[in-house]
Amino acid sequence: MENILFGIGITAVAGALATIAGAAEDTESDIGSQGDPNSQVQLAPQMGFIHRIYNKAISGEPPAYGLWCAIGAGVAWAFMAVQVNAILAIILGSLVATLVQGAYATTAYLGRTASLANFEQPVYIDLIRSVTTVTMAHAFVAIFTTVAMCYLMNTALGHPFPLPLLALVWGIALGAAGSATGNPFYGKERQYQEQPFGAGVSISASGTIVRYGEAGQRSSLDNGWFTSKMGGPASGICFGLIVFFELWRTVIFEHMAGGWGAVIVGVVLIFIFMALDRYIEVWARKTFGPYAKPEEAEATA
Amino acid sequence: MSALGGAAGGSEGFSSPIGVGVGVLLILVSLGMAYYFGQMATVIALIGIIVGGLLIGFGVHFVPVGGAPAAMGQSPGIATGVAMLAAGAGLAGLFGGAWAAEFGFAIALAAGAVGGALMMAITCFMVNVVYIFAMGVPSASGKVDKDPITGDTFPEYKSQGTEGHGLPFVSYVGGVVGGMMGGLGGTLIYIELLYVYEGVLPVMLDAGVEEIMPLAVSLAGIFAIGMFLVNAVIAAYNIGGTIEGPHDPKFARWPRAVIGAAVASAVCGIAAIMLVMV
Repeated sequence: MENILFGIGITAVAGALATIAGAAEDTESDIGSQGDPNSQVQLAPQMGFIHRIYNKAISGEPPAYGLWCAIGAGVAWAFMAVQVNAILAIILGSLVATLVQGAYATTAYLGRTASLANFEQPVYIDLIRSVTTVTMAHAFVAIFTTVAMCYLMNTALGHPFPLPLLALVWGIALGAAGSATGNPFYGKERQYQEQPFGAGVSISASGTIVRYGEAGQRSSLDNGWFTSKMGGPASGICFGLIVFFELWRTVIFEHMAGGWGAVIVGVVLIFIFMALDRYIEVWARKTFGPYAKPEEAEATA
Repeated sequence: MSALGGAAGGSEGFSSPIGVGVGVLLILVSLGMAYYFGQMATVIALIGIIVGGLLIGFGVHFVPVGGAPAAMGQSPGIATGVAMLAAGAGLAGLFGGAWAAEFGFAIALAAGAVGGALMMAITCFMVNVVYIFAMGVPSASGKVDKDPITGDTFPEYKSQGTEGHGLPFVSYVGGVVGGMMGGLGGTLIYIELLYVYEGVLPVMLDAGVEEIMPLAVSLAGIFAIGMFLVNAVIAAYNIGGTIEGPHDPKFARWPRAVIGAAVASAVCGIAAIMLVMV
């Protein structure tokens, strides 16, 4: 019983860490513009719209976070091997990984923006100074929480994978969950804030991203402020739910039904989420209603 | 015809018999090497690895990925890359499968499959939460007029100037099936490699099974992740950017990816085995 209670506690902490990691990951990628919507940041100068948005999408978020979390965990592991306190070791490992992220962000911004020189898009040195450090700060939070979560899985819950391998796996999953959930909010609701709410961006509007804020030109820091209201928390909840349910069903039900307990509970959870998804899908159809009458839509299709 | 006047890219089926022949030859050579350097158990392990790769390559085709256009609500699907999302789900499955390895082959495989499927079930749900509650758009497929599962009609729910948006239920189910197959395939590769390493490393290093387990688990895990990414990227190239799920016409391209995944898994698998055999 004590073991199960201990496991539940660890599961709750790991889920909380994952929630913070997801929120920080999405906010970091939106400030640095690393997700799929960055295609519009790259396209805008080619359409004549010069902007001050950061641009570091030379890698997808999953492999980038897989790398940074694995570096953080690897360095932390090395420090722990020489008897450094675990928390201090994870902080030091995350710091080293954050420096790698900073080097990645700077070179990516310079490279991607320099490639737009033909379209007169300048490289803003003040952006490197102001935005890079903010992405690094968010990356530190995401890496630290992910590595700490993996440390709990390895040490407290006894997962067989070594710490760096666990961090690689969960770093990739973190990037996948964060980019899947957070990208649409950054892409549609922020970059195309002038477009009407409740509809997709018309393909003909591609590249016409919003470049001006309340006072002067919009910076990527403003984008982080905006997406941290919805895209970030949604990504955090997504990754937190994934980690929590993965651990919870294993810790509690693993030894039931001859080892099949966790599998059965997993299947039940899948059907619950499927039903919830169908419910909100139907709710949206009823609440928002069709854009056109069915016969008009068929005529234009 | 493509825009450049050449043959249309991404045609269904097998476009090159020579390519298929070379692929089959590579698989046979890999199996022959497994038999020569190991024994029948090694050949069976390599077959398991190839089957795992097939499952990953096939499963990726189910995952509804809309890429950059989906992020602007211009096309349906999840707004990220094919290989990215599939890897995230498959590796979450591998995490669960590796954890359950002590309970035996069948439970570990099921745990891997359910882990990947659960990751996708939660992710697809949260993606729809953002589409519906943060962007205010209903789900509408751009490839079919009716959802094959629910019967929902789509043309009237597409906003002007888009190919559709959101994540229709058929795409949701596709995502869950894709995650399940990815988790199953990744776990199968991991377990087969683990069996090989557990058998060979104690003799090679003159140590007990308990002593070599951390090394065996790490090696099998790294190779399983690597092979997962190889197969996911092959399938992503075959898809060519975006896919809505099993109802998308691009889904019919899967046989070519399966051949590619089998060859890549055979070559990578024999490399992973030879690491401890030679």
